[in-house]
Formats: sequence, structure tokens, C-alpha cells
Amino acid sequence: MNIEHDGDFITLSMGPHHPATHGVLRLEVTTDGEVIAACKPDIGYLHRAIEKIGENLEWYQFVPYTDRVDYVCSMNSNHAWVCAVEALLATSEETRLQIPERAEYIRVLFAELNRISSHMVGVGSMTMDMGAFTPFIHALGQREHINDIFEKTCGARLTYNYMCVGGVNADLYPGAEDEIRKFLDGLEKAMKDFNRLITTNNIFKGRLAGIAVVSAQDAVSYGLVGPNLRGSGVDFDLRRDRPYGVYDRFKFDVPVGRRYAGSKGRLGDAYDRYVVRLLEVLESIKICRQVLDQIPPSSGKADDPVGGWCVAKAAQKALRKPPVGEIYFRCENPRGETGYHIVSDGTKVPYRIKIRTGSFCALSIFEKLVPGLMIADVVALIGSFDIVLPEVDR
Amino acid sequence: MTFSVGPVSDSVASWIASFGVPATLAEIVAVLLVCCGPVLGIAFPIAGVAQYFERKIAAAMQRRKGPMVGATGVVQLVVDLAFFWQPRWKRQATVRKLENAPVIGPVLARVRQWGLGSIAADGVKMFLKEDMAPAGADKILFYGSTYLALGGAFLAFAVFPFSQWFHMGDPPVAALYLGSVTGLVAVSILKAGWSSNNKWSYFGGIRSVAMIVSYEVPITLCIAAVCMWSGTMSLQGIIAAQYQPGVASFLGWNLFQTPFMVLIAGVYYVAALAECNRAPFDLAEGESELVGGFHTEYSGLRWGLFFIAEYTDMILVGALFATMFLGGYQSPIGEEWIVSLPPLAEALVHTAIIVVKFLASIGLMMWIRWTLPRFRIDQVMKLAWTKLVPLALLGLFGLAVTQLVQAGRVGVHEVAHGRYLSAPVVHMDIQAVVVSWVLLGGAVATLVVLARKYGESRPMPKDVSDALTGKEKTA
Repeated sequence: MNIEHDGDFITLSMGPHHPATHGVLRLEVTTDGEVIAACKPDIGYLHRAIEKIGENLEWYQFVPYTDRVDYVCSMNSNHAWVCAVEALLATSEETRLQIPERAEYIRVLFAELNRISSHMVGVGSMTMDMGAFTPFIHALGQREHINDIFEKTCGARLTYNYMCVGGVNADLYPGAEDEIRKFLDGLEKAMKDFNRLITTNNIFKGRLAGIAVVSAQDAVSYGLVGPNLRGSGVDFDLRRDRPYGVYDRFKFDVPVGRRYAGSKGRLGDAYDRYVVRLLEVLESIKICRQVLDQIPPSSGKADDPVGGWCVAKAAQKALRKPPVGEIYFRCENPRGETGYHIVSDGTKVPYRIKIRTGSFCALSIFEKLVPGLMIADVVALIGSFDIVLPEVDR
Repeated sequence: MTFSVGPVSDSVASWIASFGVPATLAEIVAVLLVCCGPVLGIAFPIAGVAQYFERKIAAAMQRRKGPMVGATGVVQLVVDLAFFWQPRWKRQATVRKLENAPVIGPVLARVRQWGLGSIAADGVKMFLKEDMAPAGADKILFYGSTYLALGGAFLAFAVFPFSQWFHMGDPPVAALYLGSVTGLVAVSILKAGWSSNNKWSYFGGIRSVAMIVSYEVPITLCIAAVCMWSGTMSLQGIIAAQYQPGVASFLGWNLFQTPFMVLIAGVYYVAALAECNRAPFDLAEGESELVGGFHTEYSGLRWGLFFIAEYTDMILVGALFATMFLGGYQSPIGEEWIVSLPPLAEALVHTAIIVVKFLASIGLMMWIRWTLPRFRIDQVMKLAWTKLVPLALLGLFGLAVTQLVQAGRVGVHEVAHGRYLSAPVVHMDIQAVVVSWVLLGGAVATLVVLARKYGESRPMPKDVSDALTGKEKTA
């Protein structure tokens, strides 16, 4: 698109409190009528210096802060952090931790449940941005069930602080397995209703097909991760390709973009990313079912070793004197790969923490994608990348 | 000097005069009552409470049950008062026990407070809010456009017949008049958007005008087609032309005449949705794109006026649809028993019938709104110019040919203007109806087959669509 043609441009400040920017993102858009000539994302409204705070907290104390890195999928953030610290501890034989089997399974179960709930928010708010409010409510209705399960387990509905170095904070409550199974059955049904209502809707398809096309090469070179990367047809999923935790014990497919919108769409368009999220929910359901089949039973004792930082004495001890070193650990979050780079100088607080998040990289491609789109398409584009702003600013 | 506009106003006037009021004054009051009553007494209140129905329909579609479902409303209050000494959880348990009781439970589940108070609360809230104009706004246009919007919506009702006797006026060019006053809404939205000194409002105004100007074309074509078919531009005349004696009077309605009329009706309804800025054409106020669109800067009652104008437009669309295609205020199950009633009773029954018809239309609009996502502006334009206008032209042409074949001439029938039952109406005979339905049905079926074959060359992968929408795999 030739920006320097004659014409009157309007500079629009989309955000920081715009209904479709999913938080406090500000896009400085230059438009020529409805068509956008240039776009500059402006971030930093939600910067809380979480990485710096981490340098003043003990290793296990940082877990609640990871909740706030991405509050739509706190479990996954917790998981990434505790896995990173455990990987650091595993570099030395003295501090290596033995994670209880059941705790590992619970971690995967809850990470997948949270992935479902995060994708529900993602696809739901996308439909709302497209002007359809009803599917959004239906999607959030499913998320409520997951929140209920989490609340019964750890007492919180949004920021869980559930996983801890060496295990998880509490065992599943009695009857949780049955309840989760029942929820998964209901979710499968609800997903089909949701898809019949909105995903296959021609207006909806028409809005997303061929919009904001990211080629596989662009996706890789801009550092897109997760569903955004797979939406462009790149077949890469950490859970399968670099399994962490007990992910190598489950069978699941990795959905990739395949030009789902048919002849109107193109590979890597907004609709592809949207459908990849929906298919990932179905895969997560599969994983959850396998977890529930394989999970070792609870011993039923109060001090059952699923962890808990008060319970896991070994972790407590190890964290006082962790090995000196540097580690980068990445986890597959709903918004893609989340990496925790931690540097330890052998003291009880980290020397440096650096968090790598998916939304931040997704924002970087906006400047390339937006010119030439219409205002309404920008809304679709933001939704299709499933940006969560606290994850961008941290 | 008499002002009589029919037997209803006469009887009302004589009733008023029976209190000792001078005859002339009584007649003026009666005429005002009869003319303005339905508009102010029916259209305005319905526009006011339509947001209540909207809320209820949205909640039902979204399975949001809310706190008023079951006995938690009134019954909990009664139990709270009766057992005030008990702790709260015990009182709640009592209510739950009552709800699950075998006989009383289903009854209690129906007891709700209905959330009716929110209508009044909403109104009061709007009245109490500050009436603000943004700095740099063009005050005259900013304040004036609200009245223009309301005026455009309500002026249209001046020619709208609620019954044979309830209408303000029935000019022979009512259809033309309607076309021009509904255009006022576009002007008001443009002015509102322009004068707000806000870029989002400006975009909303521009979008809305682009849309309304485009959609005026198919709408006008549809109205022209109906006027041609009925041979008159008076709304009473159009209703009269749909009169069919006998019990199955709905067979006389335009909608059931020829398939082309169904086509015209469909095009009209879609275009009218766009004309009154309803979803999926609510681009002018698309809240996820343009914050609030043209009314971003309006607050309090001024915003409320836009709101009422929107709902009045919806009523108007439903009312015109009923008038043009669904026999207006006529009942579907025979008209004779209604016209044999005394004039006032007849007028009331007819008014009730038209109200039911346009309420159904409003319900349909809300259903659409809470189901469909929004179009993009270029898609909206494309829909108007590449689909609706050709379809409307096709319908117009088809109607003209049908009429030519059936009645030997196009257009002008000798429809006695005004009072119906006296209109010499030419209806389709049964062979013509069958032949036209078969022909058009065949054409549509061919189109569908062709579209299936050549339409989407690369549909969604089969396994994916199966996984998403859950069609069982056949082994």
C-alpha cells in the first residue's frame, strides 16, 4: 500500500481504552477514510516491573507474580515458572527434586483446563469484536465451570498461585475427577453448539477470511508462537516436540492452519488462527481425558506428597542454596511459548529474571499487517492474535 | 363546522359532548385523540419499553438466567420476613426446599419479579444525567440532530394506518412521503457524527450515511413494486388491495400472492434492517470498532432520544412490512366479523392486530441481532449493490409481468382510495399462483444446485468441519 499518495489522513488513537483492544493497548492508526495507512502499537500502560520485583523475592515467592504475567492462563504461567526453577535445581545432583507423579499429572490437567478456558476467552472475545455477543457469553459460560473447579481446588478464580516448586499446593478435592469428566462431556457438546452458531456463520467467515495473512516465513521471522505460529501452517508445539512434565505420555494432534476458510481465505489468515484455537480446545479435552485415565490415585492422607511449599521440605531446602547458573525454560502456553530465563548466583533470590511472552512478539507484526486493512479488520486482527496486555508489558 | 374523520371520532365526540363540553371543542378533542392516540399511545410507549424486551430476549438467547429466576425474588423476600430470626443460610435453604417440593415447586419457579423496575430506573437515570456537549462541538447541530432523529422516526407515523379509522392522514402519495421522511434519520446521524468533534463519531456518521443512501435504493424499489401491484401509493389503499373475503383472508395478503412478492419482502426486510442501523448492519454504532459510533459524545436524555428513535424506526419497519406484505391491520382469519363490530371496537381490534404484527417483527430483529456478527462496510455496500438491488429489480420485473399476464395491464387499478372493502381488487387465480411458484421454485432449485457444485471451490476440510460441528462419521 502506497502511503505517500495525495489525500487527507486522519490520525486515530485506538485505545488505550478502546473496547476492542483487550486491555490497555494503544494503536496509533493513520487512516485514509476507512482504510488504514499506518499503524504504530504503543505499549507500556500496564508495566509493573514484574521481572525486577522477582529479583527481590525468594524463588518460591515469585509464583503469585507469574499469575499476573498472564492472568487469563495463570496455571500455565505458574507451570512455566516452577518448571524453570526445577530445571535450574536439576542442574546439580544435590538440589535435584523428585516431583511426585500425581503432582505432575495434576499440573498437566490444570494447565490444559486453563488452556481451554483461555482459548474460550480468546475465541469468545473475538466473536464479540465481530459484533456477535451471544457466542461470547456461551464461551464464558464454559469458562465459569473451569473457574469453579479451580476455585474448589485452590480457592481462587483468576490468579491461582496453585503450582509450587516441587509439586502443587493442594491435592484434588474429592470427586474432582468425576466433575472434570462431566464438564469435558458438556464442553464437547457446547463447543459444537458454539461452532454451529458462529464459526460456520458466513458473515463471520467473510469478516475473517483473507484478513491479516501471515506467511509461515513471516511467522517464524517475527517470532510468533503458539496458535499464531501454527495458524500459518508451521507445525511446532513444545508439548509434542520438546515435551516437559509428563506431556510425553499423552497422545494428541497438533492442529495447524490449513486454509480453513476455503477458497475465500488464505493460509495464515485470521480465520485460520481462530480455528486452530478451537481445534486446540478439542485436543486439550483429549489430553485431560488421558490424564484422568492415567493419574495415580491419591493416598488420601493429609500430607500426601503432591507438594505444597509447606509440605515439600526438600524443595524448601534446595531453594535456600540453588546451584549457580543460568537456565532458559519454555512452556507451551495458550498464547504460545512462554520462556523464563533465570540467572542464579547461588543465593535465595534470583539474580535476574527475563520473561519471554507470546503476545509481545505478536504485537511486533502489527506494523507490517495493518496497513491496507480497514478499521473493522484491525479489530479482527487484534482478536485473532489473542493479545493479553499484561503479558505484553509485564 | 365539523372536523369528523369517521364514525370513531364522531362517537368519541358525542361521548365527550355528553359531559357538557361545547360540540366544536368536543370534536376537535376527539379528532386529536383519534389521530394522535395510536401514535403517542402505542408507538411511543413500545419504543420506550422495547429495550426491556431486548434485554429479556438477549438474556434468553445467552442462557443468562439472572437472579430473578425461580423463587429467589419474591419468595425469598417473604421467607426472609417470616423467619427473620433464622440465619441467612437457613432461610435460603428453606426457599430451596420449597422450590424442590413436588407441587409447589414448579409454581414457585414461575414467580419472578420480571425486572420491570429497570425500565423506570433507566428512564430516571437518563433524565438525571448531565446534558453535555463536548468542547469544540457545533452546539446547534449537536443539540438539533437529536430532535431530527426523533422527528424523522415519528413523522413517518403520520400516514400510518392503525385501523380503518385510526390514522392521522392518508395522502394518496403516502409511499413517497415515507421515503422522504425516513431519510431524515440519515441526516440526523450525519449531523450528530459531524458536530460531535470526535473522530469516532465522524466515522459513525459517514458509515451510516453511506449505508442509508445505498439501502434507500432497494427499499424504494420494493415499495415501488408493492405500489405497482396494489395500484395505489396510499397505505390504506395498499391494505385494501389485500382484502380477501371469507375465512382464509390471509390468502389475500401480498406475501402469499406470488413468489416474486416473497422475494420483494425478503429484500425489503434486509434493506430495512440496514436502514434502521440494526445488527448485522449496526456499523454506525459498532461498539467494538467505533466505541459508540455517532452517539459516542451524547449523554443522558439526548442519547436516550437516539435510542427511542432507533426503536421507533424498528417499529416503523415492522409496521410497513405488515402493511405492504401481511395485510396491514387485517386479521388472517376472516375480516367480516371484525367490520361488523361497532366502529370503535373494530378500530381497537384492528389496532391490536397490527401491534401484534409489528411486535413479531421487532422480536425477529432482536433475534437476528443477538445471533449474527457484524458486516464490514465494504461487504455491506457490496450486498446492497450487487445482491439486493438486482434482486429487487428482478422482483419488480417479475411482478410487472405477472400482473400483465394476470390482469392485462400493469399498475393502475381502480382501487377506491381509502375505505377498504370497497376496492375492486384483482387477485391471482390459483393456476397463476401454482405456475409462478413452480417456475420460480425451479429456478431457485437450479441456482442452489449450481451453487453447491461451483460455489465454494475449496470448502473447509471435511475432517475439521466434522470435528467442529460434530457430524458423526459414517464408517
